[in-house]
Amino acid sequence: MKAPLTRSLVWFGVLAAGLLGAPAAAERGTLNDLWNVAFAIVLASAWNLLGGFAGQISLGYSAFVGIGAYTTVLLAMAGWNPWLTLPVAAALAVAFSVIIGLPTFRLRGPYFSIATIGVGEAVRVIASGVEFTGGSSGLRMPSGGFNFISNYYGMAVLALFTVAVVFFIHHDAFGLALDAIRQDIDAAEALGVQSTRYKLLAHAVSAALVGAAGGLFAMNFQYISPGSVFDFRLSLSIVLMPIVGGIATLVGPVLGAVLFSYLQIKLLASPALRDSYLFIYGGLLMAVMLFEPRGMVGLWERLVRLRSRQRPQAAEA
Amino acid sequence: MEKLAGVLLSSLFAAGLYATMSYGLAVIYGVMRIINLAHAGLMMLAAYVTLSLNTWLGLDPFLSLLVVAPLFFGIGVVLDLTIVRRLPRGGNAPSMQSLLLLFGLWLVLQNLAYLVWSGDTQSILTPYTMTSVHLLGESYGVPLLLVFGVSGLSLVGLDLLLRRTFLGKAIRAVTQNRDAARLSGVNADRISAVAFGLGTAFAAIAGTMMSTLYAFTPDFGRSFLLKAFCIIVLGGLGSFTGVAVGALVLALIENVFAAYTPIPTSFQDAISFSLLVLVLVAAPNGLPALFRGFSRKALAR
Repeated sequence: MKAPLTRSLVWFGVLAAGLLGAPAAAERGTLNDLWNVAFAIVLASAWNLLGGFAGQISLGYSAFVGIGAYTTVLLAMAGWNPWLTLPVAAALAVAFSVIIGLPTFRLRGPYFSIATIGVGEAVRVIASGVEFTGGSSGLRMPSGGFNFISNYYGMAVLALFTVAVVFFIHHDAFGLALDAIRQDIDAAEALGVQSTRYKLLAHAVSAALVGAAGGLFAMNFQYISPGSVFDFRLSLSIVLMPIVGGIATLVGPVLGAVLFSYLQIKLLASPALRDSYLFIYGGLLMAVMLFEPRGMVGLWERLVRLRSRQRPQAAEA
Repeated sequence: MEKLAGVLLSSLFAAGLYATMSYGLAVIYGVMRIINLAHAGLMMLAAYVTLSLNTWLGLDPFLSLLVVAPLFFGIGVVLDLTIVRRLPRGGNAPSMQSLLLLFGLWLVLQNLAYLVWSGDTQSILTPYTMTSVHLLGESYGVPLLLVFGVSGLSLVGLDLLLRRTFLGKAIRAVTQNRDAARLSGVNADRISAVAFGLGTAFAAIAGTMMSTLYAFTPDFGRSFLLKAFCIIVLGGLGSFTGVAVGALVLALIENVFAAYTPIPTSFQDAISFSLLVLVLVAAPNGLPALFRGFSRKALAR
């Protein structure tokens, strides 16, 4: 279901004003939190392109974060300007998305998801074992030349760009093809939608965005290791954010990203909660699947429907 | 030659455990068309329960199977009645909703283990942990042999249950065609609960046995879950002899790679995961179907 254009523009405008205007008003601590929100929006919205609109639930997206981050660090260590490494990070993520997409997109539904867990784990195991990634001890960015504010703007612009890209794809024939693939892949193929091509394309676009975000992640944290960027838990939260927010909607992943970043900040602040974050993640996932598979967006729509049903009754009485 | 015999024997021993952990997935998949991602969490939980029984009561891990397996059968039945049953039934193909629901359950189980037993690496030591037996010029740990024996017994038990009892007949009937089974009077919902219990019990048997072989943490079991998927896909989803063959094939491949190639053992998991992807792509219906396809093509010629 497509939201009216004006409503989409309004919330996009609010999001843009909030993210871009914040450095003028907020302190460094708040900006750090907002950086995390922007990072989460990129991951969730980009994943939603393939996992939501095309319905191909991938549980291996940390591979793209990792590839982007390692590309940036390795090239920066070779003397590149970190900003110039971002297109390369995106390009390598795209290349990898095609390499793993070609075989795995022959699989359907849950089989695809399981294969992506396998891909993600294989990548992590290999990255911890080979030399050039620094093994499990990780790599450090060359020091100097780091400016948090410019990195913040980079991530904020990338987040807005991601939402805009997803918006345009959603309102394009490409988006219709993805919708058709999600709803009934056989019917879509029968109508001439080349499903593998569209899945590969959606995978590539989202991989590019996530890869670039991985590069910015490496620049911001200055240190990466296979345990941080290829972690299964990262893949996990990338999947959870759009699902909890509202899968296959524009605003859902953004809502999910904001909710999760907020949760994360709360979790890090309190030791009791930090030990039970998997309860919260797992419980949320189970609750969404059992009660409202369309997440927060579905819940909202249910509320709206309930209110519009009550109003005529109130008028009669 | 002797090396080859050693590799074959190691593969056979490993295959016993692999088959046990895969049968649980296969039973649940067959009856309910659900891919149980919580399988890894249940294996991990069983390992911790075994640990507690061992430290509190001094119960031997293999003897504790008599407690753990029925306990987890009950847990499985309760999980089906309270959670899994609430999902809309997704026809003949497994639904994304069930996959993600059980994924959530896995996370909750991990957190539960973390809160109860902390995140430290645990292992179970028994008087025979360090003892070994010489066979064909290689030495094998006693726990490994016991695991192989128990695996064999439990698989024979499952086979007898499925082939010789009325309940087993009903389970097989629902696996083959749920609607037809219901038309002939099988209570498919009750069979689903039993199947989920059986699958959970087998996850627990595998988990308990693993606790005698490996150290474990709340995160334990993910790589074994992927191996189990690899096996049931190799063997053809829902075919029980196929699962045994699949387990043997995976164990052979792993051991051959370890023995004859310079690839370090830390990459062993990467091999099985790549194999998983390869098999899923080349033979989504399993090796038996692939062979049937080949012979059909050969006959057509």
